[in-house]
Amino acid sequence: MTLVSTYKALLLAGFQQMAQYRIQSLLWMLFAIIRPVIFLAAWIAIATAQGGSVAGYTVGDFAAYYVCLAWVSQLVMAWNSQEFEWEVNQGRLSAKLLRPLHPIHYSVIDNIVYKLTTLPVLAVILVIISVAFNAHYSTQLWHVVVFVPSVILAAALFFVFGYIIACLAFWATRMRTANTLWQRASFIFAGQIAPIALMPGWLQAMAYGLPFWYMQGAPTEILQGTATPERALSILAGQAVWLIVCCAVFRVVWRRGVRAYSAVGA
Amino acid sequence: MLGGSSLGYSRGPMNDTVVSVRGLEKTYKVHERETGVGATVRSFFNRKFKDVPAVGGIDFRIARGEIVGFLGPNGAGKTTTLKMLSGLLYPTGGEAHVLGYTPWKRDYAFLRRIALLMGNRTQLVWDIPAADSFLVLKQIYAIPDADYRTRLDGLIELLELQSLIHKPVRQLSLGERMKVEFAAGLLHGPEVVFLDEPTLGLDVSMQARIRTFVSELNRRSGATILLTSHYMDDIVALCKRVIVIHHGKLLYDGALADLAERMAPYKVVGATLRDGAARADLSTYGEVTSNDGAGRVKIRVPRAEAPARTARLVAELGDALADLSLEDPPIEDVIDRVFSGEQVGAAPDPEGAVR
Repeated sequence: MTLVSTYKALLLAGFQQMAQYRIQSLLWMLFAIIRPVIFLAAWIAIATAQGGSVAGYTVGDFAAYYVCLAWVSQLVMAWNSQEFEWEVNQGRLSAKLLRPLHPIHYSVIDNIVYKLTTLPVLAVILVIISVAFNAHYSTQLWHVVVFVPSVILAAALFFVFGYIIACLAFWATRMRTANTLWQRASFIFAGQIAPIALMPGWLQAMAYGLPFWYMQGAPTEILQGTATPERALSILAGQAVWLIVCCAVFRVVWRRGVRAYSAVGA
Repeated sequence: MLGGSSLGYSRGPMNDTVVSVRGLEKTYKVHERETGVGATVRSFFNRKFKDVPAVGGIDFRIARGEIVGFLGPNGAGKTTTLKMLSGLLYPTGGEAHVLGYTPWKRDYAFLRRIALLMGNRTQLVWDIPAADSFLVLKQIYAIPDADYRTRLDGLIELLELQSLIHKPVRQLSLGERMKVEFAAGLLHGPEVVFLDEPTLGLDVSMQARIRTFVSELNRRSGATILLTSHYMDDIVALCKRVIVIHHGKLLYDGALADLAERMAPYKVVGATLRDGAARADLSTYGEVTSNDGAGRVKIRVPRAEAPARTARLVAELGDALADLSLEDPPIEDVIDRVFSGEQVGAAPDPEGAVR
């Protein structure tokens, strides 16, 4: 019960704080959807040049895929690894460590607040893109139902994975490289550059074995309606396995990291 | 609870040990950087670490309700010790118990009963008024409504926060922010409070107010306070007992009043001379450290010979003497002597190291 009321209070403070940064958070959001929109434009150009489709994907399919990807990316996104590096290096983590609440909760709150405040605007933009490019969805009701747990699992996976990378800050002063590596991997394996189905078989196989696709590409397929029931189930299973693995790794990394924390400056 | 007069804190029994430290050690591992291309490449593959000892095995105990000053120059290990006692840092060796807990395990039950306040750090959200941050802290620490009200009212009154807590924190001045910071750190009614440089960067009147507040806090709530400060005024005003550490070792633990006796081998004779006598040669009594030309002089005499030399001075100057005092040297001088590495019994520093 304490955790619930703590969350309520933190959310309230979070919204008050966010209210002062409305413009900034809108800019972040626009920044976040620029990438899918650029890829969409590129694929539309290619598909049009090839007579309307690429490997069976029409312009409407691409539009649907990238609108769904933008939607998923926004729902899933977390940026705590960057922030955490700063907190650790500046010793700002100290105050949080001294409170009877795990510091991860503050990040969860920031994350929720940011998403809730930006979603309405994002929805409007994505509806406009959908209509403009005549996006073609095959989504059925069960897809929507399965999408909910899938996107929550994806968000949790992204968040925890980000926190594992963030914990590197306990040992390394600069971990921007680790973040860049993650972004590059997502570029290919999460399905950002192209729907995974359009990739060579060996790349697809790698993507299924890595966690990145389960964070973005997989829920996108479910929302778009291209996933069969079997594929949707295997997606949920893959997400659950990766989430369990990441949580276990996080526990170990966190415990060791906090021991190594030198509380510089403060 | 004793209502407003106790700030809503519960008073524990006095005289039991709340902080005990035995052989506490902390060694930082620091990456050794060498200059030159070759060394840089080598360090890339084979990082060399150097052990930097910060705290080298210290022991002390603090009883409930004490205010203890922690003295030492920069890098002596004061802050490192406070961080270990509050649970932020894992020690390299030794043990510590605070309220019966091992601090670095960071039990939530432990964290609810202590506070670490650092003068140059903010833990409040900058963009919202402190009052809103307080509500968040109330939930995090699960502070009951009644306690919260009493404590907040008490803190508002003591720190004169009324007009401050509804402004966004970033609009406050450094001193105002410090006061609000204090309130935030004390809302949960900690029984043990670690204060690291609470007056750092504040102007003289704000320093004085913070001092008054700390002593009131101790008086009203019975909180045990361990405090570091660079300003001797803070220590003199607040602490009966001081612990002096230097290079991570404990040099002195005892009454502030006895510090001079232990650490300074001399006393200061203050004499006021009538007209004319000011030009007399006083160096036979001791070292004249100041002479304002108007008759007021200070003479440094070896501690053991102080009574004899003073008596001689009285006998020889006779009527020329208007006033006389025999004092311990100012505490700043004593501390400076200790930290500048002078041995007890060494020749007095003519500069007097007056700040």
